[in-house]
Amino acid sequence: MSESPSLVAVSDLYVRFPIHSKGKKAYITPVDHVSFAIERGEVLSLVGESGSGKTTIGKALMRILEPTSGTITVAQRDVTHIRGNALIEYRRDVQMIFQDPFGSLNPVRTVEQHVMFPLRKHRNLKDAALQEALDNLLERVGLTPVAEIRIKNPHELSGGQRQRVAIARALAVNPKFLVADEPISMLDVSIRAGILRLMNDLKADYNLSYLYITHDLASARYFGDRIMVMYGGQIMETAKSSELVRKPAHPYTRLLLAATPGNPVRQALPETSNAAPDLLEGRKGCPFADRCPFVTEICRETAPQLLSVDAAHSVACHHPIV
Amino acid sequence: MSQQRPVLELENVSVAYDSDKGPVQAVNRVNLTLYPEEIVGLVGESGSGKSTLAYAIMRLLKGSAYLAEGTIRVMGQDVYSLSKKELRQFRWSQMAMVFQSAMSALNPVMTVEEQIIDTLRTHRRDMSLSQARKRAEELLHLVSIDLKHLRSFPHQLSGGMRQRVVIAIAIALDPAFVIMDEPTTALDVVVQRSILDQIQEIQRYVHFAILFISHDFSLVAELASRVAIMYAGRLVEVTKSERLQLLGNHHPYTEGLLRAIPKLTADEVTIEGIPGYPPDLVDLPTGCAFHPRCPNVFADCMIDRPELYQMEDGLVECHLFKGAKEVHYV
Ligand SMILES: Nc1ncnc2c1ncn2[C@@H]1O[C@H](COP(=O)(O)OP(=O)(O)OP(=O)(O)O)[C@@H](O)[C@H]1O
Ligand SMILES: Nc1ncnc2c1ncn2[C@@H]1O[C@H](COP(=O)(O)OP(=O)(O)O)[C@@H](O)[C@H]1O
Ligand code: SF4
Ligand code: SF4
Ligand SMILES: [Mg+2]
Ligand SMILES: [Mg+2]
Repeated sequence: MSESPSLVAVSDLYVRFPIHSKGKKAYITPVDHVSFAIERGEVLSLVGESGSGKTTIGKALMRILEPTSGTITVAQRDVTHIRGNALIEYRRDVQMIFQDPFGSLNPVRTVEQHVMFPLRKHRNLKDAALQEALDNLLERVGLTPVAEIRIKNPHELSGGQRQRVAIARALAVNPKFLVADEPISMLDVSIRAGILRLMNDLKADYNLSYLYITHDLASARYFGDRIMVMYGGQIMETAKSSELVRKPAHPYTRLLLAATPGNPVRQALPETSNAAPDLLEGRKGCPFADRCPFVTEICRETAPQLLSVDAAHSVACHHPIV
Repeated sequence: MSQQRPVLELENVSVAYDSDKGPVQAVNRVNLTLYPEEIVGLVGESGSGKSTLAYAIMRLLKGSAYLAEGTIRVMGQDVYSLSKKELRQFRWSQMAMVFQSAMSALNPVMTVEEQIIDTLRTHRRDMSLSQARKRAEELLHLVSIDLKHLRSFPHQLSGGMRQRVVIAIAIALDPAFVIMDEPTTALDVVVQRSILDQIQEIQRYVHFAILFISHDFSLVAELASRVAIMYAGRLVEVTKSERLQLLGNHHPYTEGLLRAIPKLTADEVTIEGIPGYPPDLVDLPTGCAFHPRCPNVFADCMIDRPELYQMEDGLVECHLFKGAKEVHYV
């Protein structure tokens, strides 16, 4: 690790949002002291239930929102609080693909307008060079016949085609790093595999790194080199994908695995309740304690630290299953 | 099983919507039979006609939708020969449905108890208020919701709890047959699993058959004993769930779906998509509707719609299976 610094390094990231609780002002912290790194050319899958803070991490990385504290370093540059031109420049290296391929496209712009804009603005292409880059890019993401697709509006495209437009637009600036936030969850089964494969092929072609956000462990394993499991704003476990699926050490990871369809072992769900996690600032102990079959006194008092069980496998639990 | 009287019989059922561009053939000559206490999965992509078929069975088609041909029988009774009044009695007491948008299925200004009692008393005029209250308690108990939530409003419940309430209402009148249209799609995997476990648990005490609609293959294969696969309004395959573990001897569309899903624990981690996109239902491809996307397509496929062929434990609508026994309904 020490030889070459990571492409993305997130350290002690903390994001809070104000809420009103019983008439008083309070905060929730969906990203609660989170640290992780992503190497060049690596895909990190981020898995967790809805509301666990995945999108908030993605938005902080994109600097769509500004972290409350902690640091985000991308390509050795601290981008935690940059603004103005520095931020515009940063967005050339980092792009995001959203869950809803319709909401993220402009309904009155054609496909070519969507993709041409960043090509012109960030890559300073024009005339024949611009046209050629556009055609190549659309072809590369599978939007063929290019001549026909170029002039279509989003509403004339299927969900899968729209997601391909979003991918082409993201690639247009030659990014180093993509945040893909549940990019396939709204697509049909027969279309999902094509998008996943496309993202996988692009990784090699463009030497891209990804943060792949999903609630589906099977696709997290397929696409991700590593998987990071989140619960209640904190990281519970990180490991190489196959290791995490085969040898989960955290009780919450085990619960997720047990619940995922397609798991050959059917068992009763290993949970003691189905309470949602508490995100209130100042909560104490392990966020999973209310549902955990292995909970003890210490779990309710002290939040467990994320510690290595071996080189590439870390767990935040007082009583990990090893 | 097949000696028993079926709870649901679909014979050559077609449903269309009128549109500016012509009729949308949302359901196209579908044949399917469900037996008592059986769970059958109905899977297909968005727009393949799953919900339309469900509404047709319930005789709840709205707007420009109409039953274009075919017969639908529930407990041996032709649903479309009932009078309006008979239908009102029949629905919910013999057949019930959990709708795709469960959140909107609940009335936001009524408590859980009021909604259950309302359903009971509308259909069982002879039921007293105290009987209905007692039944509401039983039902909540059945779906594992604390009785204190009888007085809760829908917005005070989590997504999973609301879905349990909707299921409780669907089975309130002891129907023989329940359609569940994507009851868990909007929920997290853990909540989804606990609701599926719950459904199977309830089914041990209360005996009803389920047509379970979903787009999630792996999920349906675990829950149902048989799975029907829908493509562009047609049932292209009906198979035993176990057979979905194995590639080979499936309709090419089923085969494609099986190759498209990443497996959680298998060693093999490559997946393939199905090229192209589902067709426009106003302007269906000639012959086999899957032919523009099919890797096995040959000349006949573009001209003739394939017959349904009987396999060892299922049905397949594809020319590749010619030579197997043809099945003729009607
Ligand atoms: N009111 C309507 N008017 C015209 N066409 C309609 C109408 N409702 C549905 N359709 C069309 O009928 C077809 C089947 O729709 P249906 O809702 O049954 O699909 P589905 O399989 O339930 O899809 P999903 O998985 O998205 O719920 C689609 O092509 C749809 O566009
Ligand atoms: N801009 C915001 N203001 C207030 N609360 C927010 C905001 N964005 C997200 N949240 C809350 O933060 C929590 C985590 O949300 P999110 O990161 O979107 O989770 P996920 O992507 O894992 O589903 C949720 O409780 C959500 O309601
Ligand atoms: S720290 Fe305690 S409560 Fe949290 S997951 Fe581990 S055993 Fe369970
Ligand atoms: S009938 Fe022909 S086109 Fe249709 S699925 Fe079979 S082989 Fe493919
Ligand atoms: Mg999200
Ligand atoms: Mg539907």
